[in-house]
Amino acid sequence: MYPQQIHSYLHNFFDENNCHIVKNHDHYMTVQLTIEMDKKIMDRPYYWKYLENTNGVPNPAQLTFITDQNKLIENIKGEVVHFGSPRLNQLFRATKDLGAFVHMYEQVGNQIQTKTILTPWLGVNYKVSYYSDQTKEMLYSLGINLITGHLVDGFQERVRTFDLDPEMSEDAFGLTFIIKPLRALERLDLAIEKIINEDDHTWAEEAKIRWQKDREVLEHFYEGVEDKPECYDMEKRALDEQYESRINIEIINGGLFYLKTSIN
Amino acid sequence: MLIEKSSKWKEGFIERLEEREPWDNWTLYNMSYDVVKTNLITDFTGLQSPKYLPNLTPLRHQLEVAETVIERMNGKAILADEVGLGKTIEAGLILKEYLIRGLVKKALILAPASLINQWIDELNHKFYIPAIPYKKNYNLDNYSVVVMSMDTAKKSPHKEVIYAQDYDMIIIDEAHKLKNHKTKNYEFVQSLKKKFCLLLTATPIQNDVFELFYLISLLKPGHLGNYETFQSSFSANKLTWEHDDYLKELVNQVMVRNRRKDTGIEWTHRRVQTIPIQFTKEEKEVYDLIVGLKNVSSVFSSAFSMITLQKEMCSSKEATYLTLNKMRQQCVDPEEIDYVEGMIQKLMALEVNTKAEKAYELISKANDKVIIFTEYRASQAYLQWFLGSKGITSVLFNGKFKKSKRDWMKQLFKDQAQVLIATESGGEGINLQFCHHVINYDLPWNPMKLEQRIGRVHRLGQEHDVHIYNLAIEGTIEDHILDLLHAKIDVFEKAVGNLDDILSTFKESM
Repeated sequence: MYPQQIHSYLHNFFDENNCHIVKNHDHYMTVQLTIEMDKKIMDRPYYWKYLENTNGVPNPAQLTFITDQNKLIENIKGEVVHFGSPRLNQLFRATKDLGAFVHMYEQVGNQIQTKTILTPWLGVNYKVSYYSDQTKEMLYSLGINLITGHLVDGFQERVRTFDLDPEMSEDAFGLTFIIKPLRALERLDLAIEKIINEDDHTWAEEAKIRWQKDREVLEHFYEGVEDKPECYDMEKRALDEQYESRINIEIINGGLFYLKTSIN
Repeated sequence: MLIEKSSKWKEGFIERLEEREPWDNWTLYNMSYDVVKTNLITDFTGLQSPKYLPNLTPLRHQLEVAETVIERMNGKAILADEVGLGKTIEAGLILKEYLIRGLVKKALILAPASLINQWIDELNHKFYIPAIPYKKNYNLDNYSVVVMSMDTAKKSPHKEVIYAQDYDMIIIDEAHKLKNHKTKNYEFVQSLKKKFCLLLTATPIQNDVFELFYLISLLKPGHLGNYETFQSSFSANKLTWEHDDYLKELVNQVMVRNRRKDTGIEWTHRRVQTIPIQFTKEEKEVYDLIVGLKNVSSVFSSAFSMITLQKEMCSSKEATYLTLNKMRQQCVDPEEIDYVEGMIQKLMALEVNTKAEKAYELISKANDKVIIFTEYRASQAYLQWFLGSKGITSVLFNGKFKKSKRDWMKQLFKDQAQVLIATESGGEGINLQFCHHVINYDLPWNPMKLEQRIGRVHRLGQEHDVHIYNLAIEGTIEDHILDLLHAKIDVFEKAVGNLDDILSTFKESM
């Protein structure tokens, strides 16, 4: 992420969370946190507990973020935020928390006679990670039509181009789903597992070969030793943990979408 | 294969479906997706860490080391770059990479006490790794990255506390301190679980190849075979080398070593001179008497103390006196006592210290900041007095100083004094790039100690050529030390690569 991207990220994040942007320059900004945001990112539970117990006047923090230190000529004190900085990581986590579940309707223009029918979909974004002594991650966005059961890949990229709103347009009519959302979620989970099963897993086999090689070396060291010492078992365990291949499936976010546009 | 899944999202989803919790914001939903997409690790190989570290510009060789260790050595390696090439940066890059990739959750760093703060500082500020220095009452469950001294770690109750933790990565700085497999240090590290492990040392071999064997056996037992097979490949004489290429190949599978000249960085030169010195007649006489002592009394029969005395005599009468006087007190035979006391008188009557005079001459000629390394505290004090009498200001330095005192002394040297006089133990952990003259007043037995000394000055950031003067008195034990230093450098070169000019080609010039 470039400084500019980080800047607009911060701007959007605080704006969407109703934090007033007091000052906004192109390489720094000052933000007045709301009480909720202060509690979320300032890490001072005792202050808030004290305040609530004493009925004090809450005074959420005001923060200045410098998003491009190289351009800074003004005499500004603030937190430098860059890609990899702890603050940005924290905001990433907060974003994940605050944007995990949605319920959206595609907007329809004024229709004179009939109401536009909206079809319900469940969309879920999955992160799949392969681990051995190495890591690889993949992102899958799956959607399932809750009327027909039709499954699509790349759902997020499609749906984000639509005009969506949490409220349904007056001229629209949302169909009731036939497939229950939780049942649909199970189908998507199965679909993800199918994708994983059909993937190329040479990486796991290669990790196994590395593991075997190291294991042989270790055995060689203790060859002929009758009573193997404790550290032998420990080394063995360390090798198992180092090379053991495993897969993690994590849902980033997901939600219900009522769409007029059909997706294939 | 094991597939891990969490039902956390599903539970939250149910709460929304049942209208117990509100739905989230669409923009944040999209931002969240974008963040994951941006941070996605799309390849098993390649380094992710540099893009997270905009304030650090790693050098090419440092990035290569990190990549090699992770991709070719599977995260278990000896980082053996020459002093001053940034082993800490390499270790930081590797640790950061594993943290980002989610392969390391908890890491333990063992370093000499004097370097703990430096580690904490670098990890926190250069790498944004929240490392903390270990304190007695800390509950290690709560800290993901901890730095502590080996001396603390190996003792109870700390030892047990560490064993109870499940560390994914162990980093050991100044790992040459593990060369002896009979020590508590070695035993402690051997019993640690080492999933990913880095051993940092500029000097993986100090005396013989068995040190390398033990170091590698700690990291990857069996990699060089077991002790018997290894020993049989290397005959009784530890300094000769068979199976040269084969061993080198094996070593290179677990060790990375960059030399200054491979780094592609414009390094300043090392100008090494060995300066032969002749004793005065009087000094030579006392030296010869010391050599003859072993025939006088059984008190002086130990080879070790005789060598010490001879080395001390090559340094200063003050250093010699301390040892000699202690030994005199062990003598019982009046005749012996007389003899030794006569000798002490002759010693104390010496008016000239030729070596100190030579050092003074070199300092005057340099007309610049100079570091003098000596092996003896008594010589250190003497040199300060001697140089003071010639109008040259100096500060003393040794590694037992606390960090604040070391920083203070370094500052004094930089701002006010011309000379810094350090004892051996002062070698590690200070950087003195503003100085470019080093006098090795006494020679250590170990070439790596010389390298450590020179590395204080000749490291990244040095802008001038560095002058190194090795003082050696002819016709004394120092000749022998020079020979041995050459032989040891030879062993080291065969296993791991050339050393920069630690010793000049003294013999040829003789």
